[in-house]
Order: sequence, then structure tokens, then C-alpha cells
Amino acid sequence: MNNKKISKNSGVFEPLLFSMKYLGRKRSTIYLIIVAAIITTATRLYVPVVIGSIVNSIQERNFSVLSYFVELILILAVVSAIATFIVNFGAQYASQHYAYNLRKKVVNSLTKKDVSFFHGSTSGDLLSRTTMDIDATRNFLMNTLSQLIPTIMMIIFGFVYMLYLNYVFALFFISTIPFLIYIGMVFQRKQRMHWRQIRELYGEMNERLQEDIAGQRTVRTYSLENSQIGRFQDVTGSYYGEYMDVAYLRGFYNNIMPFIISVAATGVIIYGGYESVITGVEVGNLVAAVNIFNLITFPVSFLGRLIVFSENARAGIGRINTILSTDHDEDLVSTGTFPDSNGIQFHDVSVIKGNREILKNVNMNIEPGSFVCITGETGTGKSTLVNLITVLEKCTSGYVSVGGVDVRNIPLETLRKNVAIVPQEINILSGTIADNIRFGRSGIGDEMVIRAAKIARIDDFVSGLPGKYETLIGERGITLSGGQKQRLAIARAVVTEPSILILDDVTSSVDPETELKIFKEIGKNIENITVVLVSLRYSAMKYSEERYILKDSTIMELDEIESMNLFSSGEGQ
Amino acid sequence: MKDDYEKEEEKFINTLGATASLKRLIKDVAKERKSFATVVIAVVTTATALAFYPLAIGYAVNSMANRDMYGVIFYGLVFLLLYLIQMIANRFRVIHTTKISQLAVKGLRDRSFTSIHSVPISFFTVVKSGFLISRITNDAETIGDFLTFQIPQVISGFSAVILSIVIMLYLDPTLTLYALIILPVLSIFTLSLQGKVRENYLKTRKTIAAITGNLAENINSIRSIKAFNVETYVNSKFDSLNTENLDANIRASRLSSAYGAVIRVLEFIGISIVIYEGVIELQIGLITIGTLVSFIFYVQEFFDPVTQLSQLYNAYQSSIVGAGRIYGIIDSPKEIIPEGSVPVDTFETALELRNVTFSYGEDTALNDVNLTISNKEKVGIVGHTGAGKTTLSNLMLKLYLPEKGEILLDTNDTRNILTSRYRDIIIPVLQEPFLFRGTLYENIRIAKKDASNEEIEKLALEFGLERIFSRLPDGLNTDAGELGRNLSEGQKQAIAILRAIIRAPQVLIMDEPTSNIDPFSEKDIFASLEKFSENRTLILITHRFSMISLVDRIVVVDQGKIIENGDFETLMKKKGMFYSMYNIVNANDNWSV
Repeated sequence: MNNKKISKNSGVFEPLLFSMKYLGRKRSTIYLIIVAAIITTATRLYVPVVIGSIVNSIQERNFSVLSYFVELILILAVVSAIATFIVNFGAQYASQHYAYNLRKKVVNSLTKKDVSFFHGSTSGDLLSRTTMDIDATRNFLMNTLSQLIPTIMMIIFGFVYMLYLNYVFALFFISTIPFLIYIGMVFQRKQRMHWRQIRELYGEMNERLQEDIAGQRTVRTYSLENSQIGRFQDVTGSYYGEYMDVAYLRGFYNNIMPFIISVAATGVIIYGGYESVITGVEVGNLVAAVNIFNLITFPVSFLGRLIVFSENARAGIGRINTILSTDHDEDLVSTGTFPDSNGIQFHDVSVIKGNREILKNVNMNIEPGSFVCITGETGTGKSTLVNLITVLEKCTSGYVSVGGVDVRNIPLETLRKNVAIVPQEINILSGTIADNIRFGRSGIGDEMVIRAAKIARIDDFVSGLPGKYETLIGERGITLSGGQKQRLAIARAVVTEPSILILDDVTSSVDPETELKIFKEIGKNIENITVVLVSLRYSAMKYSEERYILKDSTIMELDEIESMNLFSSGEGQ
Repeated sequence: MKDDYEKEEEKFINTLGATASLKRLIKDVAKERKSFATVVIAVVTTATALAFYPLAIGYAVNSMANRDMYGVIFYGLVFLLLYLIQMIANRFRVIHTTKISQLAVKGLRDRSFTSIHSVPISFFTVVKSGFLISRITNDAETIGDFLTFQIPQVISGFSAVILSIVIMLYLDPTLTLYALIILPVLSIFTLSLQGKVRENYLKTRKTIAAITGNLAENINSIRSIKAFNVETYVNSKFDSLNTENLDANIRASRLSSAYGAVIRVLEFIGISIVIYEGVIELQIGLITIGTLVSFIFYVQEFFDPVTQLSQLYNAYQSSIVGAGRIYGIIDSPKEIIPEGSVPVDTFETALELRNVTFSYGEDTALNDVNLTISNKEKVGIVGHTGAGKTTLSNLMLKLYLPEKGEILLDTNDTRNILTSRYRDIIIPVLQEPFLFRGTLYENIRIAKKDASNEEIEKLALEFGLERIFSRLPDGLNTDAGELGRNLSEGQKQAIAILRAIIRAPQVLIMDEPTSNIDPFSEKDIFASLEKFSENRTLILITHRFSMISLVDRIVVVDQGKIIENGDFETLMKKKGMFYSMYNIVNANDNWSV
């Protein structure tokens, strides 16, 4: 819908206006290109005029001026070549800088977004926005600068030279322009829907593939191979169909443009021939005119393709803008100090998502340096509760404070440096184990990595690997089991010795024996750390100093006996 | 690191060489015989029209010089006719090249997609999904462009050049030689740059691939990036890749722009030579003015195909490498399905593992395991993380085949059993549940196509799962999102359980099915599961001892071997590994089984 609104405003050139914004200081290149395009077309099209003069001289049997004309052609060649270089290189230079600036801006915007932004979009979609869509707009800019501008200049200079040669020729020439513009517009309108469809189907193809590969075990164990293949073939089938529709359009419109020019050229030949036969005037001007028509045919037929590029670019812009808008931005830049105390307080916290009240007036006081466990039924909002502490999610009303300071008043960077949260979904980056524990944070030495791995009880496993901490993991390396991934994520969190550690049910695949050892190691190694644990295990609850249960949107403290009963009688009903 | 990976990959995907890929691509394209013939005819027609129109202009000019008006009109109309023919031929060319190339692309995509459903599952642990996706979508697209645009254009351009030379030789052999002098210079100049051009081009491709890879990883890990506050690092790492790409592109375009400029100079030199020599011949009456005009037009025509050829080379390179990789995926060794696969309908007596050994690369995961599970028996498999429990289940599911030894269903080696039939009998609840995009109803229905919403709801109620779903915004109509991201881990597990149950398999393998589900719901699940599995075989992998009550027998796995095997009392009395594991968890407890 957004796309439609924009396209009404500025039409085919919308991508151009958009790209101007991200050219930055390279905008002056555009003026240079325009000047160079004028020079290159003026000289390029002047050559046919010179050749025409040569033909005239030959017909007049005046051979003395020929060497002058040949020299002129060579001079024109050099000037035209230099100007061509400026146009082509300038177009690349500007469009590559544009892509560079825009990519940088998009990635910057992406990292600024809060987590809720990512709920609404698939990663495949975001990836195609940052790669394909930017590339589509870059391509359009590049072609506008290197093809469209010179073509427009060619039409202008073609007309000017024709006027000089013979005003009737100029009339023939100019009469083609309205047809070319009209056909171009019809062509654009007709193929727009198809290109949109092609882009969408391409995205669909990507998403199907990604899903199918990720879910391969499920696909196989439920014998879904044939239905998956069928669904994929439906997509590639529609994709093929759209391409064919475009081919039929292109087969007609793309060829009719050069044909119109050739009709005009034929008019020039016959009319000019008639004039020459009647009056005996030299044919040089006619030869020059036909040659100019000839030189213009190819660039004009290229305009059709430029329209396609523009369509692709326009579809891309709407999608890029969603990322560039400042909705969902987090304030990440400021720095400040973290409170001295690492206790956590919830003050009348409510969270409403959609029409569901997930948390209702929650009050909770977690003592500094304590080990707290939060339990509750599946889907009650335990993750939401702990996400509030580092503002990964926001309170609808009430607030959360650390050491008495409202977390919203602590700069996010400071807050997240001191409060480490291990989310349920664990991302392994392709790289070494050590890279994955460091996770991009500077100043973490090898001994710190090993110490963290020891705390998370994964050191034994890593030391047993041939490459030790330099072993590659992730997509390019060895595959880790669920329990190993969880322990790696814990190591990642404890390596910076945070003052608060939040573990969101990240020991579910670790056996209880190891789990308890990890808890003990954390307390032993990091002084005064506050640990908030989300867990469904009795053993973990038993280990904790304080226990809470989230039920019916509120939090209740449990003593040891109560929690024991909870697990023995199944009083959920 | 990137290079290392590509080398690694070569080991698993046998990328086809350039020549072989090209041959096979041509074969694929030529399958559409009628369209292929149409394209060939259209290309030849276009080339002929292109080659003759300078001649028409030349004759028209001569007619004018001779004051022959009929000649002017005649050759003027011939000129128009040649364009008309070209237009019609081009229409056929565009439609049919699109048809054959897009069909070829569709074929490549469909075949590679089909292929990845019959490769061994271990394929996916070594080949990264990003690689597969980009081959099947992106590379195939490049091939499509190459076949649709570049190839026909260059072929028709070159045919036109050759035909033109023939016509020129017919008109005037001497002038032709002069006109052609520039051609070797042009070709040598173009060829001499190819090495540098290719190098630049590879560099731009490599840097853009690095950008895409980096972005994919960042987008997928955004939650962790936020949680660990490493946005600045992510941005600066991306910046350096982005700068590398910019530099590579600027360098490449500097060269190609300079090439274009030199071509322009060469073109004008070529015209000058023809004019110079042509005028000399004209003065002594060897040629007419019309011939000279034709020659000038011909020389101009030479340059487009040559410059296009230099662009074609890059397109060819990337397409052929892409094609080689796609063929590599299509040709990947399939899971061996021996001749005469046995169609088995039911499970009668026992599932038996006989001397089974299995390893992932160098790490032995299972070592000479023997285990018999009788029909309708309920067996628990316990052990520490990494002991080999999941491997055991993967083998019983036929996701992997044992390296040594065999797995027998009744008396048939599972290798010989038709996999699709086998998987009707035995259904798992996997450790990491997978959800497709779409509603939860749809996600359950993958297991039973004709299951009604009511049936699903009834089952959810029976298994005490309706509470879990009722907390979702639209209940079971909630959209799961990409990879089920709209759901918590526990909710995903609940779906995985329902999915398996609705299929009503004879053998149910559950791998930590409730690790993220709360104990209250878990209790309900156990109770229903007990009833459900009365007449079925249940294999339960867990380190949660709360589930032990469900099973008749416990198998303890440690370091790839079965070290204990027996019922609860026996193992407790034995005071071995099970006993110690059990006690750590339940020390001083009175809540357990």
C-alpha cells in the first residue's frame, strides 16, 4: 500500500529522487556526468555530420578538404572517448557510493531497531531488502546515469543536427518522439504487475527453500517430500508463467520502438532521395541523417529495459524505507553509569500484548546477589517478564528498576553491558568457539574465554576437540547438540562477569547434574552476581534462594514446601 | 576462511567442471526442440537483416546519385522491410528464448529441490543452507539472464558480422581488408584485458558474497546481538566488508570504463581508415559512392558485438560456475534404496539393533550397540548429554544408516524396507521441534491431511495441552511465524507432540519431548500418553526422571555404549550409573515417581 502512494507522486523517476538522498557528497558527480554526456553525444553524433560533409565533397569532386575531415574525426574521437570515460566511470562511481552509503545506513538502522520490529518480518525478507532491493535501486541509478542521460542528450543533439541538415528530416525525427514516449508508458504500465509478482514469487521461493531445509527432519519423518516438492514446483511454475507474460510484452513493445525509428529513417531516405533526384542536391546530408537514426536505435530500444529497472527499483524502495524509518528505534548511543546495587525491583508492572494482559500489576523485589528462580506454565509470559529487565520488551504501565534506578533511565548500552541475558533461541555464529564466546566484544583475553567455558561446564568438551577453542562451529563447522549450544550461550554471557545474569530456560537440554554444577560455578566465580533463572525443573528451584511462580498474569512467591508440592501433585488443573 | 569453506564444500558437492556444465546446459536447453529451432531461425533471420541494411542504404545512395527515383523508393522500402523482418524475428526470438531458458531454469530449480529430499540427512550438517538457497535461487537466476539476453544477442551479433564480411568481400575485397584492419587490434586489445577483468570481477563477487553472508548471520542473530549489546561491533565489521566491496567495484569499473573509451577511439580510427582508402578507390573509379557509404555503416556495426562479447565473458563465467554447482546438487549421491525394497505394512514382533556402530566424522557416537525392543514395549533411554541417545533415535528413524551392524524390524533389515512405509509405522517427536509457516492447525495437519479442527481440538484437550494454546492470541489459529518464532519453545513442543499423536503410529519415539513444558501440563501429557501408548511401542529419550513412570524398561547409554538395561527396581538395586543420576536429581525428595 505504501508503494502505491509513493509511485503516484513521482512515477518512474521516484528511484532517482530517492537515490539522491544517499549520494551524499558524491552528488556533484552527477553534474559532471551530465556535462560529459553532453560532450560525448555532441561529438559522437557530429561524426555522421562530418561523414555527410565528406560525401558531399566527394560528390562535388572536391577532394582537398578530405584530410581535414579525417583529422576532425580523429580529434572528435579523442574528445568523445574522454567524455565517455567520465560518463561510464562517473555512473559507476556514483552508484557504488550510493549503494555503500545506503547499505551502511540500512544496517545501522537495523541494529537500532527494538526486538518487536523483528517479530513482524522473516529474516529472508529482511535479507532481501538489504541486498536485492538496494541492488535494484543501485542498478537503476547506474543505468539512468550511463544510459538514460546520454540517450536523452542523443535525442536532443540528434534533433539539433537534423535541423542543421534539413528541417524536414528534423520533422521526421521529432515526430517519432511522442510515439516512443507513449509506447514506453504503455509498456511500463503493462509489465508493472508482472515484475511485482516475479519479485514476490522469488521471495516465496527463497522462504520455501529455507523452511524446507531447516525442517528437513520433520519433512522426512512425516514423509512430506512429495507435497513439499509439489508446492515448490507450484511456485517455480507461476514464476515461469510471469516471465512468459513479460516475454510476450517485451517481444512486442521492445521491438516496436526501433521499428518506429526505422519508419522515420525510411521517410528520410525517400523524401531526401526525392529532393536529391529533383534538385540534384548532394546526398551527404541524407547519409548523415540516416546514420544518426541508426546510432539512436540501440539506445532507444534500451529504454525499454530501463523501464524494467525502474519498476524493480520502485518495488525495492518501499521495502527499504520500512527499515530506514525511525519507528521501533532504540536509543543506543548514550553512556552513563550503572547503579551500585544489583537488586531488581518490579513496580506495578503490566504488559498488554494485543488484547491479552500478560502481566498485571506485578510487584517483585529481587535482593542484590541472590539466586532467584521463576517458574510458571508454558506460555504464561516468563520470557516477557525477564525481557523487561534489559528493555528487550517494554512495560505497558509500571516500571522495572535496578538498584532503585528505573531501567529506562539507564543508557541501554550500560544496562546491557551489566545485565547479561541468555535468550531461549541460541544463535551460533560461523566462526571459532572462542569467537562465539567473545561474541564481538573487545578486551576479552583467552584466559577469560577458558574461564567462562569452565563455569559453563563446556571446557571439557572443547578441550577434547582437535582444534580446541579454535574449532569452527556454526554452518561451516561442527554441529553442536542442544545441550552444548546452551552451555556455550551461558559461557558467552558469563565471560564479561555481568552483575546480573538472566537465564531464560537455557538449561533444559543440559542434564540436571551438570546444570547444578553450572549454577554453583557461577556463584563461586562471580562475586555478588544476581542470577534470575527461568526454569521448569524442580532441581533448579530447589537450588534457588527465592522462588516465584507466574500464574494468571501475577507473580507469587513460593516457599520450598509449596514448590515441592507443585511438582508432585500437578495441581495445574 | 571463506576459501576454506568453499574447499570444504567441494568435498561434499561435486561441482561439475565448466565444459561438462556447458554441455549439459546446452542439452537441457535443447530439450524444447520446437522453440530451440524457432530461436535458431529467428537469430539467423535477424543477423541477415542486420547484414543487408547497410547495403540497402548504399544502393539507395547510388540511385540518388544516378537520379533514379524508382531505385530510391525501392531501396528505401527494402530498408524498411529489413527492419520489419528484424522486428518480427526478434519477437519470436524474445518469446522462445525466454521460454527455453526459463524452462531450463525451472528444471534446474525443481530438480535440485527434489534432489535435496533424497540425499542422506548428513548432507545438511556439512552443506550450509545459505549455500543451497543461493545456488537454487540466485545462481539459477544468473543462468536465466545469460541464456535469455546475453547469448542470443552475441550469437546474432556475430552472425551479422560474418555475413557482413561476406557481403563486403563481394562488394570490394581491397576495401574490406582496410575495413578489417581494426578488427584484430580490437580483438587483441579486448583479449589482453580479459585476465585483469576476470580478476576484478571475481573480487567484486567475492566481496558481495561476504556482505550477504555477514548480513544473513546478523539478521538471524539479532536477538542475541541486542541482548549482548554488540551493535557497534556488528556495524564496524559490516563497514569493513562494505568498504572492500566498494573498492573492488570502483577498481573494476575504472578498467571497464577505460576499455569503453579506447573502443570509441578505435571505432573512429576504423571509420577514418575506410574513408581514407575509400576516397582513393573512388577517385580512380573502383567503387561507387554508395559502396563507400555501405562500408562506413558496416564498420560501425562491428563494434557492438565485440564490446558485448567482453561483457558476455563475465556472464558466462558466473553462469557456468553456477550451473556446475547446481548440477553438483542435482547429482549429490542419493540415499541408497536397494533393489526390491520391501514394502512393510505393520510391525509385529520386535525392533532390533544388532552390533550397530555409527560415527559423525571421526567421533564415534555409537559403538557396537545391541538392543531389542519388543512390540508394545515401553522403553526409556537415559544418559548424560552427548552419550549417544539422540543418535540412537536418528538411526531407528532411518535418518541415518548404521555404519556397521544392522537394524531389523521384525526380521527385515530396515535398509531394505521402503522408507515411506517404514515412516508410517514409526513417528518421532524430535528434540528441536520444527514448525512451518502457517497456523498451528495446519502444522498439526501435516501429519494427517484430513484431520478436522474439531479433531485436533479434542486431542489437545485430551492431552491437557489446550491450556497452553489458549494463551496464544488466536489459539490454534495463531500463525507460527518463520521457524515458529511466534511461539515459545514449550508451545512448539506441544505442537510436535500433537502432531505425532494424531498420526497414531505403531511406534512412537520421543526425544526430550517436554523439556520446555511446565510440570503441570507435563503431568497431563504423561497421563494421556500412558493411555495412548497402551497398544503401542514407546521409546522415550530423556534425562527427566519424572517420565520414568511411563516405561517398563530403562536403557542407560554412556559414551556410545549401553551400560545398563533393566526395569527401575533392578537398576536401582544395581547402584550403577542410573542410581547415581537418579539420586543427584532426587536427593532427599519425596516428590518423585
